[in-house]
Amino acid sequence: MNAGLQIDIERLGTVAQTLVQDLHLNVPAGEILTLMGPSGCGKSSVLAAIAGTLASVSEGLLPLQFEGRVQLNGRDLTALPTHLRGVGFVFQDALLFAHMTVAENLLFAVPRSLPPAQRQARVQQALQEAELLGLGDRDPSTLSGGQRARVALMRALLAEPQALLLDEPFSKLDTTLRAQLRPWVFAHVRERRIPVVLVTHDQQDVADPQRVVHLRTT
Amino acid sequence: MGAVLLALIAGLPMGWALWAAASQVFDASAWQALWTDPQTLRAWCMTLWTGLASTVLVWWTVARSLASGFIRQQLARWLSHLPAWLATPHAALAIGLVLWLSPSGWALRLASPGLTGFDAPPPWPTTQDPWGLGLILALWLKEVPFLLWVAATQLQREDLRRRWQAEFALAQTLGRTPGQAFAQVVWPQLVPRLRWPLLAVLAYGLTVVDMALIIGPASPPTLAVLAWQWLGDADVAMLAQGAAAAGALTASVAIGAGVTVVVWRAWSGLRTFASRGSLPQRSPRQFAGESSHRQKIPNWLLHPCGRLPLQPKGHSSQHGHSAAGLSRSRMSGLALAIGGAYLAVWFALAVGSVSGVWPFPQVWPSLWTLDAWSQVLGSVSTVGTTLGLAAASASVCLVWSVAWLELAPRRWQQALRPWCLLPLVLPSVLWVVGLYSVALQWRLEGQWLGLLLAHAVMVLPYVLLALEPAYLAVDPRQSAVVASLGQGRWTDLLRIKWPLLKRAIASAWAVGFAVSVAQYLPTLYVGAGRFATVTTEAVALASGAQRSLMSAYAALQMLLPVLAFALAAYLGRPRQFEKIGPMKANP
Repeated sequence: MNAGLQIDIERLGTVAQTLVQDLHLNVPAGEILTLMGPSGCGKSSVLAAIAGTLASVSEGLLPLQFEGRVQLNGRDLTALPTHLRGVGFVFQDALLFAHMTVAENLLFAVPRSLPPAQRQARVQQALQEAELLGLGDRDPSTLSGGQRARVALMRALLAEPQALLLDEPFSKLDTTLRAQLRPWVFAHVRERRIPVVLVTHDQQDVADPQRVVHLRTT
Repeated sequence: MGAVLLALIAGLPMGWALWAAASQVFDASAWQALWTDPQTLRAWCMTLWTGLASTVLVWWTVARSLASGFIRQQLARWLSHLPAWLATPHAALAIGLVLWLSPSGWALRLASPGLTGFDAPPPWPTTQDPWGLGLILALWLKEVPFLLWVAATQLQREDLRRRWQAEFALAQTLGRTPGQAFAQVVWPQLVPRLRWPLLAVLAYGLTVVDMALIIGPASPPTLAVLAWQWLGDADVAMLAQGAAAAGALTASVAIGAGVTVVVWRAWSGLRTFASRGSLPQRSPRQFAGESSHRQKIPNWLLHPCGRLPLQPKGHSSQHGHSAAGLSRSRMSGLALAIGGAYLAVWFALAVGSVSGVWPFPQVWPSLWTLDAWSQVLGSVSTVGTTLGLAAASASVCLVWSVAWLELAPRRWQQALRPWCLLPLVLPSVLWVVGLYSVALQWRLEGQWLGLLLAHAVMVLPYVLLALEPAYLAVDPRQSAVVASLGQGRWTDLLRIKWPLLKRAIASAWAVGFAVSVAQYLPTLYVGAGRFATVTTEAVALASGAQRSLMSAYAALQMLLPVLAFALAAYLGRPRQFEKIGPMKANP
């Protein structure tokens, strides 16, 4: 029984090209592992392998194949579909659903097993934590980039994931905004006591200098 | 698994029909009879003339319109007119034109007797002119909106639009005028996506029957009309000759397509060799999976736009403003001509449908009456058949298309795409031969279900074409986000993906509805003449003298698709969010 996220990649790549080989990572609960490397080295593909969303990465190219194993708190995720893995995912684009208000975007993530009043309360609390109180009825496209990024993170956390993946979450923001957002994001994810994997190519984004893995192009 | 089933559902009737048609087409004695028939050769020449001339005109118009619309960022505004133009069925358009052009039509009424001195309609061959000019005009008016629409679905795709606008701006920073930038960067990427639709335009021009019956030449008619007449003959030998003529038409389409490709390559090779204005090695990066073949557009095609100054600020071209002003007025003239023609057609149908006694040189009827409309709306079975068939075939094709786009792997979609588009590029006379055989063998001949099958085959490619671009533009990460929030596939489809696609889904349905309403040959032939729709009634009346009844049916034929598009626009309307005041810059 092993708490945390355990990733063992024998080989990740297409028929023609190997992106990642023999990569073994262990992320304990409450820790943030930073994956770094130049573009094209397969950072994002590693996240997709963890979340089980390889199909969405390989669009238009050869399909990506994953040989290896992903375990979360001792549970083998490798064969599970994405929605049963309990792994949250935040992309560099906030990808808020355009036909829903900000609050509806958040509500969509709250587990439906909870009573309605409690679900609404969680949304309000998330809005407050994201410093967006009063903006719940907004069209998400009217939010600023920083606001959207915060909604995207809160939405991922509301689904109560047991692990969280952040794929270059700050790369679309300007330097000042990044500097403000980073500590806010790290504080919120650490609070949940779950393993987190962060992908970035910016040294400034590193969450924990003790836990950095550099990938090289093969 | 599901994809295999879907491919079978669509492929079986289509493949069967094609097989049945092919087995009837290859009959040596029928070809002999076709060859020796004195009408054949002249009819075939007329077919080539009207088909090729209209296609060249359509292509030229669309190239110029897109260039100027893209450069001046007015595409969106123009596109808002497209649905109304598209919704106008072929037959209604042709009938409306006849109301203007015929010897007793409005054009001459307006000029008589003042200018012409006529107080009776002259015996002029202006409706079914022996040169096919009326048919070319009608085809041009009908096909320009179609091709514009296909191009627009590509240009309005969020991902392509952004990329092309960026590349368009980049080319200008490299010293190209907006016209050159469009011609060298955007257009060459758009052309490969328009190849199939252009082939459809050519095929339609070469093989159209309903329009040619109304406004095409009569002696000889086009080969498609001849084939249709022979196919309706009780004599088995004539029937076989009709099938052979359908085969000849198919061959004509193939030859026409081949000649177009050869001429195009030779021409663009010549232009590339001769021109100095192209972007050597600077063309934007080719995207994976796209054809690597880049075609250069001949410069003359876009020439006037090539001299437009940049968007007002800053630059001005060395050719000065007079050239720009000229091309601007010329361009909007082209759009105005099409828009004006459609307005004139609708107006003529509307007035014609309520006209009673209307002696010749009078501009307005001397008696107005709603008799024709009460007769049309009283024919409940005709209207009911039309509505039922259109709604059913559009719905069946929509469900199939959505399922196909969801389930089939992208590679399959690309591989099978040409097959799905076959109904667009093969002559409808050939299809009815095959579909009728299928209906006979499946015991569906003269049955509503057989009719639905025939309509669905013709409707499917349009629905798929309408839906596909929106589907391809969906960000695949969106579904990844939904799944990572712990929601299953159905939640994704029902609450996120389809609601976000509802506009495209609704308009694809309306397109299918409109295509079904406009069907003429399959309705008559597969329905064995037992089913009347507003289209078959309108075409049947077009040769007669009941102007008001013909106009009323044509007007209704046009009104039904308009209503479908209006319904689609209402159902697909984007959500209205709460209005907000000016935003505070709150990061």
